[in-house]
Amino acid sequence: MTERMTNHERETLIAGDRVSALEPDEAAELPLLAALLADPTTWAEPSAGLEDSIVHAVMNDQPWEATVTAISDRRRRTRRRTRIIIPTTAAAAAAAIAIVVGSIVASSGGPGPDFTAALAPTGLAPGAHGSAEVVHNNGGFRIVLDATGLERLPDGTYYEAWLKDAAGTLVPIGTFSSSDQYIALWSGVSPATFTTLTVTIEPPDNNQASSGRVVLVGDVRSG
Amino acid sequence: MRLVYREYGQLVYAVAHHVLGRHELAEEATQQTFVRAWQAADRVHIDRDPAPWLATIAKRVAIDIYRREARRPAQPSADVVSMVDRGRALMMQSTDPDSLDAVWRVRNAIDELSVDEASVVRLQHLDGLTHTEIADKLGIPLGTVKSRSHRAHQRLTDLLGSLRKEVR
Repeated sequence: MTERMTNHERETLIAGDRVSALEPDEAAELPLLAALLADPTTWAEPSAGLEDSIVHAVMNDQPWEATVTAISDRRRRTRRRTRIIIPTTAAAAAAAIAIVVGSIVASSGGPGPDFTAALAPTGLAPGAHGSAEVVHNNGGFRIVLDATGLERLPDGTYYEAWLKDAAGTLVPIGTFSSSDQYIALWSGVSPATFTTLTVTIEPPDNNQASSGRVVLVGDVRSG
Repeated sequence: MRLVYREYGQLVYAVAHHVLGRHELAEEATQQTFVRAWQAADRVHIDRDPAPWLATIAKRVAIDIYRREARRPAQPSADVVSMVDRGRALMMQSTDPDSLDAVWRVRNAIDELSVDEASVVRLQHLDGLTHTEIADKLGIPLGTVKSRSHRAHQRLTDLLGSLRKEVR
């Protein structure tokens, strides 16, 4: 039978060419590093569903116990195909938290959104399209907009999202400058009543009313 | 959040798993870490590397869960007994930030390796295989195993050295 590596051999492997030139504190760490490399927990992987569960928990800020149930339920039932969201750019570590603050990614885990909307382009942005998912929680209605093909706007000009009811009343739900990331929006009015979601281009004119320059529009439907 | 999770999720999970020794508890700790990070995100400077901040949250959450589990009435389950014993054994490490920082650093360094290199390192250290056994197992020449091993360990040494003071 072949002889297994000794701890000393492990440590020598880790130290590599610098084995004789290690600083005392580095040398003192070698046994710990060797032990960690041999520890199964160092190599353990979280389950594939954890990412969805975390995004869902963050969106709803719900306690773990509820999510455990959701995970268990999901494991028990046949998996439906979930949308895999691939970031278009590698996230620099320093930018990651900014992304957390600025854009929440739509979740395909958990019980799903309360409302959804498919957004079609208008003549102002014929190459654009999008979708939105709405989750109702204690803070109101959190809307995650996934739009693509919206052109980058000149400085000062911005996109604004709105919900509109049957009477034509518009409620602004947030502004953004790019569709490169998922856009987190909030509404205090229910999409059950305000059933149309639009995105407009707004000029820097201090006018709070909609410009009417709609680039995306769609009906919000119960999820 | 997905981007942050993909960048740091395995690191957070590794720290939690090291403290708690159980997959389900480690996942609970990982989720709590990201939820707490989310709740506190507005107090974080966006220009700073979030790794030390997340590592701190992960360690605290894992230790909190360990303490919660240790307070639960003892159950005659071998799994629980094993977990508690392990938790007790690791408690000295758990309260020592340097030890958990080391977990974070090692896992981070492993994630920086190529899949082929990480596979060789895993077989060497976790499974205790020799170069020859790894060559047989992977069906690749012995020389390839040796070169991957050498390259991987050199990279680990570089990464662990450069990371030495960054996480703290």
